[in-house]
Amino acid sequence: MEKQLKKIISAYPKDRHYALAVLQDMQSKFNYVPEEGLKMLAEYLEIPESQLYSMATFYKALSLKPKGKHIIKICNGTACHLRGSMNLVSGLKRELGIDPDETTADGKFSIELVNCLGACALAPVMLVDEKYHNRLTLEDVPRVLKEYGRK
Amino acid sequence: MINVKIDGKKCTCEKGEYLYDVAKRNGIFIPVLCRHDGFEDRRSCCRICIVEVEINGRTKIVTSCVYPVERDCIVRTKSKKILEERKVIYALLKKRAPESDLEMPEGFDRLVSLDSGKCILCGLCVQACDSLGSGAISTVNRGTEKEVNTPYGNPSVSCIGCLSCANVCPTGAIEFKETANTRTIWNKKFKLMKCEECGKVIGTPEELNGESLCDACKKAQVAEDFRKTYTNA
Repeated sequence: MEKQLKKIISAYPKDRHYALAVLQDMQSKFNYVPEEGLKMLAEYLEIPESQLYSMATFYKALSLKPKGKHIIKICNGTACHLRGSMNLVSGLKRELGIDPDETTADGKFSIELVNCLGACALAPVMLVDEKYHNRLTLEDVPRVLKEYGRK
Repeated sequence: MINVKIDGKKCTCEKGEYLYDVAKRNGIFIPVLCRHDGFEDRRSCCRICIVEVEINGRTKIVTSCVYPVERDCIVRTKSKKILEERKVIYALLKKRAPESDLEMPEGFDRLVSLDSGKCILCGLCVQACDSLGSGAISTVNRGTEKEVNTPYGNPSVSCIGCLSCANVCPTGAIEFKETANTRTIWNKKFKLMKCEECGKVIGTPEELNGESLCDACKKAQVAEDFRKTYTNA
C-alpha cells in the first residue's frame, strides 16, 4: 500500500492545489482515503494534516472508511422518494443488514443515499456501480443483489 | 476619496475599504463575533455586523465586515430595522450554541435548539491555529455535522498547547484543563514550564522552543545586560 500511495502522490507537483486530485486518485485506487495516505500527502505538500482531513470529510466523493466492492446508490430525490425509495433502503437493510453509509462485514456492498441520479422518469432508481436498476419494488431487491454475487 | 456618512457622522475612506474598518476607525462600534483584528481573513459567518447602506435613495442590508465601500453612501448601524434583524441572528446563534454565554433575546421561545455546546462555528480558532499555532485543528464534516476538531478526533500530533484557539474563541467553546503542572487541550496533555527566575507558569515546552524565562524576567535580563555593557560593571 505504501508503495502505491507513493506512486499516486509523486505523480503530482508539490503544490497544495493538487491535494484534491491526489485524494481523488487515492479514493479510486483503494475505494477510500487511507489514513497513511493523508499523512504522506501532508508531508509531501508540507501542509498540516488537519487541512487535508477537513477536505476529505467535506467532499462526499471522498470516504475515510473502506468502501465495499459494489457501491449501491439509492436515489432519494423527490420522484424516487415519492415512489418508495425508502422501501428499497429497508429492503437492503433486510438483505444485507446495513443502513446507508455502512459497508457489509464481508466488504462486498456499501449503501449510499444520494439526492438525484437524474433519472426521475425511472423512479425509484438504484445505481449499483455503474448500472441503473429502475422502477424497483421491495421484491426486486434480492434479484438485483444476486446479479452482484449475493446468494 | 469616498464620503460615507455613518450614523450621521461624516467619514471618508478609500475605494474598496471594508465598511467595518471605516466605522471602527471613526470610533463607531459595530458588534461582531467572528472577526478578529489580528487576522487578515474575514469569515463573515456570524452576520452580527450587518448594517443598512443607502445609495441613491435605495437601502440594502450588508455584512459590514466584508462590504467594500465603492461609492458615497449613508450607513445606519443601529436603525430599528437593523436592531430587529440583528436580534434574530443573535437568537439563531444562541440556539446554535445553547450552552454559550450569548444571551437569549426575548421573544424567540418558539425556536427549538437542535444543537448543543458553545461553538458557533465561526472558525476563528482554525485561523488562529494556522497562523499562530501549528495547524492542528480544522473544520471537519459539513452541514449539520460540521465541527472543529483534530484529524480523526485523535489527540493532536502537532498541537503545541499554546491555547491560541481557546483565547480567540468568542464563545469560550474550546475546553482545556490546567493544573499546577499540566495543561490538557485537544485530548493531549502538556507539561507546563515555569520561569527559571520567578517560577511563574510560562507555557508548554512545545510552544516555548527553549525559552525559559517569563516576559518580565526576560525584560529584566535584557536591561541587566545593557546595564553591564554600558557601565562596565
